Amino acid sequence: MNKKWIGRNKFGRKPEFGALVAFLTIGVGFSLAAKGFFSLATLASVLTVVAELGIVTLGISILMITGEFDLSVGSNLAISSIVAGRLLQQGLIDIIAIPIALLFGTSLGIINGLIVVKTNIPSFIATLGTMMFWRGIILALTGGHPTIPYFGHSLIFQILNSRTILDFRTSAFWFVGLCLIAHGVISRTAYGNWVYAIGGNREIAYTLGLPVNKVRLFNFAFCGMMAALAGLMQLARFQSVDALRGQGLELEAIAASVIGGVSLRGGLGSVYGAILGVLIVGLVRTGLLMAKAPPYWYQAFVGLILIIAMIVNRRIQASQQ
Amino acid sequence: MAFPLVKMVNISKSFGTVQALNQVDFEVDYKEVMGLVGDNGAGKSTLIKILTGVFQPDSGEIFFEGKKVRIRSPKEARELGIETVYQDLALLPLMSLARNFFLGKEPVKRLGPVKILDCQKMKEITSQVLQDLQISIRSPEEPIAILSGGERQSVAIGRALYFGAKLLILDEPTSALSVRETNRVLDYILASKEKGLSIIFITHNISHVYSVADRITILDRGKRVAQFYKNEVSVEEVIGFIRFGYKGAE
Ligand SMILES: Nc1ncnc2c1ncn2[C@@H]1O[C@H](COP(=O)(O)OP(=O)(O)O)[C@@H](O)[C@H]1O
Ligand SMILES: [Mg+2]
Repeated sequence: MNKKWIGRNKFGRKPEFGALVAFLTIGVGFSLAAKGFFSLATLASVLTVVAELGIVTLGISILMITGEFDLSVGSNLAISSIVAGRLLQQGLIDIIAIPIALLFGTSLGIINGLIVVKTNIPSFIATLGTMMFWRGIILALTGGHPTIPYFGHSLIFQILNSRTILDFRTSAFWFVGLCLIAHGVISRTAYGNWVYAIGGNREIAYTLGLPVNKVRLFNFAFCGMMAALAGLMQLARFQSVDALRGQGLELEAIAASVIGGVSLRGGLGSVYGAILGVLIVGLVRTGLLMAKAPPYWYQAFVGLILIIAMIVNRRIQASQQ
Repeated sequence: MAFPLVKMVNISKSFGTVQALNQVDFEVDYKEVMGLVGDNGAGKSTLIKILTGVFQPDSGEIFFEGKKVRIRSPKEARELGIETVYQDLALLPLMSLARNFFLGKEPVKRLGPVKILDCQKMKEITSQVLQDLQISIRSPEEPIAILSGGERQSVAIGRALYFGAKLLILDEPTSALSVRETNRVLDYILASKEKGLSIIFITHNISHVYSVADRITILDRGKRVAQFYKNEVSVEEVIGFIRFGYKGAE
């Protein structure tokens, strides 16, 4: 129905379309460049990277659509893992220790949200502060011991992140599930509508009667929870956590969101775009590894894609106005 | 004695050292169009933002349908049946017409345990309402950004008319409009009054307010300097009031 309406909202005019093209191009490029790239095993290793980064990115991208940032996700991921590791080391049963760590990470998100909502400090600055604060606390806590080994065996960790058939990890299934929920909420509920409105213009959203601060606070909490969840998944995968875990992750997650068409100014973007962005980043990381390129090329490559994505997205936006 | 729909008593409001409102009384009767006029900076927007919960007054009381109320947020104002088209805060340019139209009042349908947006209904009602108002739009899925200033204003007014249960507030709704669009807005105002709503109509344009208002309140530098029924005064007298703060003929 409504054919004439669809014409003006073509997928081809959205930033997400650019991300899809980039994803396919890079996928084909690596398939040609690296032998054996086009395989299920590659998909499994891409998804291993993508699941953990992607869960963090889900939180960050929804927050960015709300018009906010969270630079503290990397520190949050690390400290939540350390909380879980320490509690388990001290013999606390996993079914209690792991939820505590998850709640801990969520409360770090709530603290970020409260600082931003109550004091009106821009979230970029507020979370830069908490990022440094919590990283400092981690370094102080861990002292001279760079890693906290975790020696236990935990069913919850197995459920969170362990190998299944063909090296696909359970984390990938969690990621897919969370993506579906996040996408549904953002695109098909009243709450999602509010998120876009608040990111678009907080004052207008408020004058129309939206619970602006509650939504902002909730999305900070969600972002914190996702960071902690990703941290627990990494703890399950590596069986250890070190003081520098998650450093730079916030920039990777923001880069992935922007590559997928999420605007730095809020109010624009989508969950599926952010997911495409993460897939691109995951593809690059695995592809370069398989093409036996030195690891530093990863950063250079992602940086390049980020800039190209930004230019393309600007063009697309300009053509719509 | 009979209470008016809205009665604001002794309202004062300062922003830092600027006293935007100084002990202002204001009221709107049932089924009445109240014109609110005054120069730039007179305090008109501030007064209605207090009524819609955007600002809290420093002092003063508000009565709605005879009951004393405290309107703490725009959400509470909308729940009371007050819809507003704010001067410069109407629509979100990046969002679609339909999503703008229903913002904060989204229709939902149940899908198992979850409530999802009834997008179909949103599109249909938006198209229908705008069509009824003779506002021509191409599609309810288009972003607001591609509409002209006049079209945007019309959409915002259409939304307020659709949801406005008891009181409609229009803050300078005609400032971005062409002559024809303006006349249409004036017609909506009269039609809404016929349907039983009360309207607060803020404008700079005396002839506009004079043609639709039943009563006119004049603010000058935060003070109410006059309030009268339209048939008590002439246009020239109203202009005199705004320009010189007195009633020209007296
Ligand atoms: N949010 C605000 N912060 C500071 N001052 C304000 C604010 N809103 C209005 N004012 C001041 O209050 C006075 C009245 O403004 P306003 O109510 O917008 O007038 P009007 O709508 O009649 O043009 C002006 O001096 C204006 O600068
Ligand atoms: Mg004004």
